[in-house]
Amino acid sequence: MSSKSSAAANGQALWAKVPKANAELFALTYGALVMEVVSDSDGNVDEINEQLEKIGYSIGIRSVDEFLAKSNSPYCKNLEETANVLGKTAFKMFLGINCDVQIYNPPTSFSLILHDNPLSLFVELPDNYKDTLQYTILYCGVIRGALEMLNYKVECTLIKSTLRGDDVDEIKVDLKNILQDGAGEDYQEE
Amino acid sequence: MFLHLFIVNKSGGLIHHRSLSSKAPKLGTNEWLRIGSTFHSLYAIANEASPVKLPGNKKNGADDGIEEIQADGMTLNCFQTRTGLKFVITAEPNTTAAVDLGQILREIYMLYTDCCLKDPFYELEMPIRCELFTQGVENLIQKYSRIR
Amino acid sequence: MSRTPVNILDRPLGGRGSRAETQVSLSAFSYLYSELVQYHQNRVDSISELERRLESSGYDVGLKILELITYRNREYKREIRLMNILHFVSTQVWKAVFGKPADSLERSVENTDEFMIIDYEPLTSTFCSVPADFGQLSADGYMSGIVAGVLDGAGFSARVTAHSVALEEGEANNNNTNTSSSSGGAQSGNNGSLLPPRKEKAVFLVKFSPEVLERDAAMDR
Repeated sequence: MSSKSSAAANGQALWAKVPKANAELFALTYGALVMEVVSDSDGNVDEINEQLEKIGYSIGIRSVDEFLAKSNSPYCKNLEETANVLGKTAFKMFLGINCDVQIYNPPTSFSLILHDNPLSLFVELPDNYKDTLQYTILYCGVIRGALEMLNYKVECTLIKSTLRGDDVDEIKVDLKNILQDGAGEDYQEE
Repeated sequence: MFLHLFIVNKSGGLIHHRSLSSKAPKLGTNEWLRIGSTFHSLYAIANEASPVKLPGNKKNGADDGIEEIQADGMTLNCFQTRTGLKFVITAEPNTTAAVDLGQILREIYMLYTDCCLKDPFYELEMPIRCELFTQGVENLIQKYSRIR
Repeated sequence: MSRTPVNILDRPLGGRGSRAETQVSLSAFSYLYSELVQYHQNRVDSISELERRLESSGYDVGLKILELITYRNREYKREIRLMNILHFVSTQVWKAVFGKPADSLERSVENTDEFMIIDYEPLTSTFCSVPADFGQLSADGYMSGIVAGVLDGAGFSARVTAHSVALEEGEANNNNTNTSSSSGGAQSGNNGSLLPPRKEKAVFLVKFSPEVLERDAAMDR
């Protein structure tokens, strides 16, 4: 699809230009953060997952502006284009990874498939957390936050995780509704 | 040649204002807050009142609101981000011949994304107090002021 | 048919061109670090506690980084002298983790147990603006924690603290581009160059434990 390949080309060009940091430092720093959350949550996995998702949300609402300012991405007219820009351009620009984007039918959901996950480098989940701790739920929060700033209210779930034994990481994004900008409502004609 | 810069958040609150040269009129804080929210409302009205919508959004901005105001004493340029943030700059009328105000606003947006959004001490939607940002804007304005 | 997931212990770690050189964007790291700082900030009552928490977050990372670097560095011989380990930290560790060697290594004039590692563009505070009411807080506490972890892991226990010190006139003249920025250049439009030049440098003060100094002195005899 031309939209997918131009998004990918844009992503590649942006990745080449952005200043870089060491990926291992990135992974280890996330690990340190997760450990802080784990120790503060007293073993309550739901709380841990929720906190990590919230942290992701905070990153998402902030990083979207940088993406818009620096990427020159064309305006996305529908969720499919948004999915391509998110997966092919944004993920590439920020993380240097190539994602697969899978659009579902009806096109109110899409999945991002990561073959390479910078967050889970060096990570092995202990048995008591293996099936419950969603280590990379951070991405779900980031996507939810970023899309909310663009008026898409979505729900993200970690469908597959290499830390649980799957061969890829997959994040499913479901569109719940599209928010309207509030400012103009007062002035609309009745 | 530049007069003022101000930044309005999504809810119409003023998060940043500064004068860009000694020629700029001095305004009190309350006046600034009023300007911020007034402009926010005017922008929304203009969006609703506009008879023609831009086809497919030719640029990065989202809605069709106020982009430029040209008056006898000044010219105003506004850039609204797709996240609802408005960057507004005013300048003396002859400025646009020498510089592209839109470009300056876009660069200030980039500074904002770097110096404010990545600063752990900055809270979103709050007034900007990031030293790196103010210094960056200062340098940017000086650079453009030297272009004649 | 999915392949059997490889046990983490069997995955390759070292060598040239491997994971070691993998990168993410500086932005991604900065957002993550900003969240780490904010997470701690919401749970402390004082500035010094925030610094301590950042340092402790970095400590474990430092221990792991020491293992990684020494494993990969084929010619590595375990450092047993103070100056050598300091040199190792300010060049090899800095380069591997922060993208460039530290800018200088100095010895304190007043105290024989204190050394300073200077970085004109510390990675963690690239985009930070510490508010005036936070006093002397350095946002680079995490980096000092990493240094402490590396030193401790290598057998040189030390207390490492980060300090922001105003740059003197003309200092750091060569360092105009950002840390790990791809192809420098100051044309407008290059994302990195809009940032104003820094007004402060980071000084990592390393204060070694008395046993370490005694041990090192004994080796001179």
